[in-house]
Amino acid sequence: MNAIATGAANAIQIRNLVKRFGTFTAVKDVDLSVPAGSFLVLVGPSGCGKSTLLRMLAGLESPSEGEIAFVGQTVSSGAGGVIADAGRRNAGLVFQSYALWPHMTVAGNIAWPLKVAKWPREKRAKRVAEVLALLGIDVLAERYPAEISGGQQQRVAIARTIAPEPSILLFDEPLSNLDAKLRIEMRSELMRIHRATGATSVYVTHDQVEAMTMATHVAVLNNGRVEQFGRPIDLLRNPETSFVATFLGTPPANLLPVRRVGENLVFGETVLAPSSLAAGRDAVQLLYRAEDVGVGVVPGVPTLVARFAEAAPIAGRTMVTATIDDLRVTGMADGYFSAIPGEPVALSFIRTPDAVFATTGERIHQ
Amino acid sequence: MTSTSLFVPSGSRLLRSGFLLPVLLVAIVAILVVAPLARIVLSTLTPEGMAAWKAVLASPLSANLWWRPLFNTMILGFSVASGCLIIGGFLAWLVVLTDVPGRRLIGMMAMLPYMIPSFAAALAWGTLFRNSRLGGSAGFFETSGLAIPDWLAWGLIPTAIVLIAHYYSLAYTIIAAALSSVGADLVEAGQMAGAKRPRIFFGIILPVVTPALIAATSLTFAGAVANFAAPALLGLPVRMQTLSTRLFGMIETGQNERGFVIALLLIAVSALFLFLSDRLVSGRKAFITVTGKGGRTKRFPLGAWRWPLFAVAAAIGLLTTIVPVLVLAASSLAPQSGALFSNWTLHFWIGEGGGEMAQGQAGIFRNPVLLDAIWSTIRLGLVVAFTTMLLGLALAYTIVQRRGSLLATLLSQLAFLPLLVPSIAFAAAYIALFGAPIGPFPSLYGTFVLLVIAASAHNLPFAVQSGRSVLGQISADIEESARLTGAGLIRRLFAIIFPLAIRGLFAGAILVFVKMVRDLSLVVLLFTATSPVLSMVAYRYAAEGFMQFANAITLVILVVCLAASFLAHSLQNRVQKWKES
Repeated sequence: MNAIATGAANAIQIRNLVKRFGTFTAVKDVDLSVPAGSFLVLVGPSGCGKSTLLRMLAGLESPSEGEIAFVGQTVSSGAGGVIADAGRRNAGLVFQSYALWPHMTVAGNIAWPLKVAKWPREKRAKRVAEVLALLGIDVLAERYPAEISGGQQQRVAIARTIAPEPSILLFDEPLSNLDAKLRIEMRSELMRIHRATGATSVYVTHDQVEAMTMATHVAVLNNGRVEQFGRPIDLLRNPETSFVATFLGTPPANLLPVRRVGENLVFGETVLAPSSLAAGRDAVQLLYRAEDVGVGVVPGVPTLVARFAEAAPIAGRTMVTATIDDLRVTGMADGYFSAIPGEPVALSFIRTPDAVFATTGERIHQ
Repeated sequence: MTSTSLFVPSGSRLLRSGFLLPVLLVAIVAILVVAPLARIVLSTLTPEGMAAWKAVLASPLSANLWWRPLFNTMILGFSVASGCLIIGGFLAWLVVLTDVPGRRLIGMMAMLPYMIPSFAAALAWGTLFRNSRLGGSAGFFETSGLAIPDWLAWGLIPTAIVLIAHYYSLAYTIIAAALSSVGADLVEAGQMAGAKRPRIFFGIILPVVTPALIAATSLTFAGAVANFAAPALLGLPVRMQTLSTRLFGMIETGQNERGFVIALLLIAVSALFLFLSDRLVSGRKAFITVTGKGGRTKRFPLGAWRWPLFAVAAAIGLLTTIVPVLVLAASSLAPQSGALFSNWTLHFWIGEGGGEMAQGQAGIFRNPVLLDAIWSTIRLGLVVAFTTMLLGLALAYTIVQRRGSLLATLLSQLAFLPLLVPSIAFAAAYIALFGAPIGPFPSLYGTFVLLVIAASAHNLPFAVQSGRSVLGQISADIEESARLTGAGLIRRLFAIIFPLAIRGLFAGAILVFVKMVRDLSLVVLLFTATSPVLSMVAYRYAAEGFMQFANAITLVILVVCLAASFLAHSLQNRVQKWKES
């Protein structure tokens, strides 16, 4: 409630956050802030430090350096450790393993945190019924966690977390244990709950599709660092690093390493672009989105011959992946397309590269 | 597929291994478990048996034969169970859930007492606390000028203390396993809800491990009720009888029917409590922790209490492991059993006979009976370990393969039956069955074979359980992928299952070996003087007052047990090279 009243302070403010385990640095100098009501997704490959970051937000780990502030109040810092402990942050965490207490019924699981928070009995019963209804699991109230399915356990875990009406909701890869169909269902369910509660949410995942569909803000993490932070559409349109460019987007964008030869940038023997794009460098990487790569020869644009690998139909077109030596290149063919693996296919670069990156990964702005 | 057991097989199907094995197993289990128990019940239904029932339960003798031993047994059972729960639970909490220093050390020390036979602790107690009331030489404390009252030297209290010192490690093992299954996530979810440490402990951790606490209570209770060595060594000299010592006394003096009646009553008492606790556990919902990221547990900081609590735990460990062993070692070297640390001599180990000492008896390594006993003990341990694990694996395989079928249910119920039967009562049942010739077969009483059969049967529940856990580690996929290549049952057994299971089997076999080597209550009725095992020899020496000899032999038993455990530990990594890390 505070979060809305003092709109000036960001709901979550992370400054210069560092977390070390012995000699290993899991989180390196992270700076992030999001306004109240946002849905922040931390996305990255496994081992990138996203779960550690989330556990620090929850107050389960203390930072080595830097600080975390909720609504202007410092809750953890490198100097002070965990200042407000997990229970006093007005935050709720949905665990990847759900962490349902096996000896309590579904209703018991949801009611226990309220009991700890000393809610009066009637208010408690009312709230339990409310969240059970919100998640559509009323009928499971008297069951034990071991007696319900994985998807139902997931709903119980979410119900338990939102019951005390936290102003901040944390999710640790909550959908990773569900099957594909259920995952999509729960995705919209979570967005609905986010809108219904208005709580600022932080969501950790390795699935970039979840990040793109759910987030108001995305932070892409790699090796403990934030590679880029912003609105999902901005990250997709203007990736700052080659990692972000290839990690986000479906189908994945292509990154072609090229050399400068005279006035041109050359891939193998093929001239792809003018050397002015390289800003004086000898070798750079060109980003081509799949929709900018056509299958078959198109007159007047650079064409490469690759070996067909696989094809998948998407929305009336076909996503074709072919290999040039070890490099996978994905393009789009109109209609349905198929070939025998290993067969040569021509790939045409019908537009100029979307972005240019140095070999070290950073964007070269034109 | 699983309902084949209800099918009457044709001749050719009968020969298939798929049928032969289960049928054979049912027969074996019936002979091993059902026959002796049925026989002991039948023997008490004869006219002599009925007279024995009357004598034990409703006669002027019954106070001595049944009520007083029952009373003593119950007091022992309850005090030992609660003592074990407190000590074992405390240590388990300390090791699993706190940041106490030396956690591995404490954990290891808490497991050791179970490896040490309970009569070792009883003998050590006697060596220290024995008073001169019963004549004979006094113990260490009284000789050093400290008067030891009777209640501390003999009877219920020392027996209970010795049994707690032995069985608390069983409670520790069970509770520690349960505590480490409480994932960090469960605790952290409680923290996120704002619960303080006591709230999390009483609201989450304790309820989740309650089934384990009940199991630990009932198993230590059953162990204390069935124990023979401790009450025999510390109670019998002052005529404190428990059901197991009464049973032993009856059979030993040839009053077999009365012995059988007491055996049945002992089974009833022990089984009743195990049954009740089982109902209590299964009445609650099974608290299987739902999924989880693996073995991460949450450790609570102890702050200023770290070292004081460590000191308490270390003291418990030392007093129940190192101290008894040191006392036994010192006593086996001291000519005067009261003066533990003076005039040490190796006479009781390697001395020649005929001298002044020990009424002219030779040291244990010059005693042919003892050398015999060492070999028959090791032989017994090895043979029983082998037969038990083989049987256990076969039973577990059949039970798992035919899960849900009538046959599987029957087999697993029968195989777990011996769990309810105290070993000394089990031995009595075997005497009832094999004490006399059956048809063309001679009486097996007093033979090695009988002991192997009885021990295998008695270890059956453990064997099936470890067989199941071993097989549980081999996923069905692995076996099925081998089956898809066309490999037959035997081929699969040796190429896939055996290499994967060997480590677990080995660990199980070692445990059975150790159990056999240190067992007294099963062998005490089944062996005759002509072919003794070590524990029997030690018991007899102790009963005759040759404490140094008894202590020396107990040390030999300890060394064999520890060597076996050590061997198992060092071999395990070599057997499965791919698990080396």
